[in-house]
Amino acid sequence: MPPSPVTIPGRDRAAIVDELRGLLPRMESGAPPRALPFGLPALDAHLPQGGLTLGALHEVAPAAPGDVPAAFGFLVALLARHPLRPPVFGKDRAPTNKPVLFVASARALADHGRPYGHGFHRLGLDPARLILVETQTAKQALWAMEEAVRSAVPAAVGGAIEKLDLKTSQRLQLAAGGAGLPLFLLRPAHTQKAEAQKAGAQKAGAQKASVQEAGVQEASAAATRWRIGAAEAARDRFGLVVRTRWHARLERCRNGRPGEWLVEFDHAAFRFSLAAALAGPALSRRPDAQPANLRRAG
Amino acid sequence: MPCVAAVNAAAEADGIRVGDTLADARAKTGSLQVRAADPAADDAALKRLALWATRYTPAVAPWDETNGADGLFLDVAGASHLFGGEEELIADLAARLARFGLPAQLAAAATAGAAWALARLRPTTTLAAGEERAALAPLPIEALRLTAATRRTLRRLGFRRVGALIDKPRAPFAARFERELLMRMDQAFGRMPEPLAFILPPPVYHSLRYLMEPLVAREAIVAVVRRLMQDIVHTLTRDGVGARALRLALYGVDGGVKSIDVGVTRPTRSIPFVARLIELKLERMTETAAETTAEPLDAGFGFEAIGLAITAVERMEPGQAELIDSFDETGAPGWLDERCAELIDGLAQRLGPRCVRRLAPVASHLPERAERPVARNDRAPWPAPDEARPRPLLMFARAEPAEVMAQVPEGPPRRFRWRGVLHGVAKAQGPERIATEWWRSGASAPTRDYYLVEDEAGRRFWLYREGLYARETVAPRWFVHGLFA
Repeated sequence: MPPSPVTIPGRDRAAIVDELRGLLPRMESGAPPRALPFGLPALDAHLPQGGLTLGALHEVAPAAPGDVPAAFGFLVALLARHPLRPPVFGKDRAPTNKPVLFVASARALADHGRPYGHGFHRLGLDPARLILVETQTAKQALWAMEEAVRSAVPAAVGGAIEKLDLKTSQRLQLAAGGAGLPLFLLRPAHTQKAEAQKAGAQKAGAQKASVQEAGVQEASAAATRWRIGAAEAARDRFGLVVRTRWHARLERCRNGRPGEWLVEFDHAAFRFSLAAALAGPALSRRPDAQPANLRRAG
Repeated sequence: MPCVAAVNAAAEADGIRVGDTLADARAKTGSLQVRAADPAADDAALKRLALWATRYTPAVAPWDETNGADGLFLDVAGASHLFGGEEELIADLAARLARFGLPAQLAAAATAGAAWALARLRPTTTLAAGEERAALAPLPIEALRLTAATRRTLRRLGFRRVGALIDKPRAPFAARFERELLMRMDQAFGRMPEPLAFILPPPVYHSLRYLMEPLVAREAIVAVVRRLMQDIVHTLTRDGVGARALRLALYGVDGGVKSIDVGVTRPTRSIPFVARLIELKLERMTETAAETTAEPLDAGFGFEAIGLAITAVERMEPGQAELIDSFDETGAPGWLDERCAELIDGLAQRLGPRCVRRLAPVASHLPERAERPVARNDRAPWPAPDEARPRPLLMFARAEPAEVMAQVPEGPPRRFRWRGVLHGVAKAQGPERIATEWWRSGASAPTRDYYLVEDEAGRRFWLYREGLYARETVAPRWFVHGLFA
């Protein structure tokens, strides 16, 4: 008679798995990691720490090359959220406002113009807090990011970089973990496709399609990877944009599950919200957004 | 007519003198070798030598035209004791110059004028202060740095020695000669100060070390910098100041000098911080040299002396530096600024000063003029955002032209083609009319109407139409100026 699986009376499998999952991050690092919540229950409950882990590397990638501004905007909104305090503009700004560093190699954002201070305002980031670092090479950008994170001076560090290998991402992840700072990386849209094509060339033709569909996961030590697509903005009755919307797909999440949401950012209150009607026209307009996925992500 | 500008010892032995015409010189010696004079190269060589000489004292002035442009003044006041006295310093200097193949005439005196005269006519003399009169009296009047015309007149009048001029009444000379004669005499005898044009501004604080063995490795240089800074920190603390600008001078064995300038945004007295900045700068020099073949940090045969000079200081509150050690996030608002400045300085040293910037608002209606990059640690307060005037997150340095189809010429766009892609417009917000800044000279650009345009994929663009239809133009042009998140 084969041994039956061990069952603990009174506790079902899902509860045990949840408990174990809660233990995982504590095993990885000594102290329980702090998190940066979105302020959205649905989203925060989905993330293992109730938000984005502070001392960790987070990747933000556009869904398509044209979505780079959208992804950059999402990244800026995240940068602005730490520390959690509503932004105060003007002279009576709190003096302890920590700076926020954004590092980009000259090529990373070249096709999409330069960061414009007045635009940062709209996403809740006081441009006076912003320190822009523009490097000539990607190598220098990596160095600058690591240096900034290790110094623990800025509240958060953002970066735009074309290439990132596993080793470098581990290095950045370690630096972020040590300093307890979130590090947000803007990645180009094409990495996934390029990787898929490379993989596809090696494998048989039949497998190629499935590889491209699934999207080869680029090896990275990042805690989360978000794929951001532009979505139709929410407007008031005069047709003015009041909330920017993004299709946010959580593609990878350490100790968590992927998910997909339609996230809004309110330009007046400077906070995130979820689009009121999930079955709104914005979702149906996009052919690649599947309702089944959405329900699963819930 | 070409003349002889300089001669070597062999030519001099053959009777050729500076100032002879070339034809005469050729006539005197059959085997004369002639090279064209290159004053610019001479000047550059003298400057290099002057830089090298800062290893003895930071105050070095190369001679200008009136001094003959063939030597250096070293202000060794306070520096000669390091070598055991002026004689020893001169001996050391002569030995080193001889090693470079430069025969030199050296002299020391209390005034620049006297030192100049002795170096020319009585080399290797050291004169105590107050002895100028006695020492210069037997010298010919060439010792006085006079123009050829003045010298000629003096000789015609029968003055051959400086001594003959010294005790004469001044009034007749002042009447007959240019100011120059009396001025040079006064300068030589210390009756009138002589300002020297130093090749580098003499630093406020300075420390220098001679090394037993030439150094090549970067780490070793940084270690020496640490010790140099340690020497200086006491005086900085005593005077209540911190360094704002530093210069590191690396004296090569071959006589070359590399100087590295480092600026910091906040005054500092921190030894590890200065060492780190220097290290980053050296790293950058090595890296850029590898990539762009720019001037590398070529150690050559090594550096035999390293000097650290503080070229600019600023008041610094005592205890400001101590806060760095006591890490306290909640208190001490200065702590954050301090650490922030250090981070920015570090990044700027490694990446280049233009690479790190902040943005400051500018009161201008034109979007491209509404902000400017500022010095690294200036924080400018920004006005609150205006909801009615949305601004893009990313803006192009030059607005990019787009082909636009609109229902009416002065209406919002319906479709636009930008970078070869056709976008159908789902929603358009606008127009926001921005007129040219007519009060600015040379600004006569047409009025712009800005639209926040959302295409069918939900991407947001900032388009503008240049020129008011029918009033400024009949064929308005469209541009994409920025991208929204």
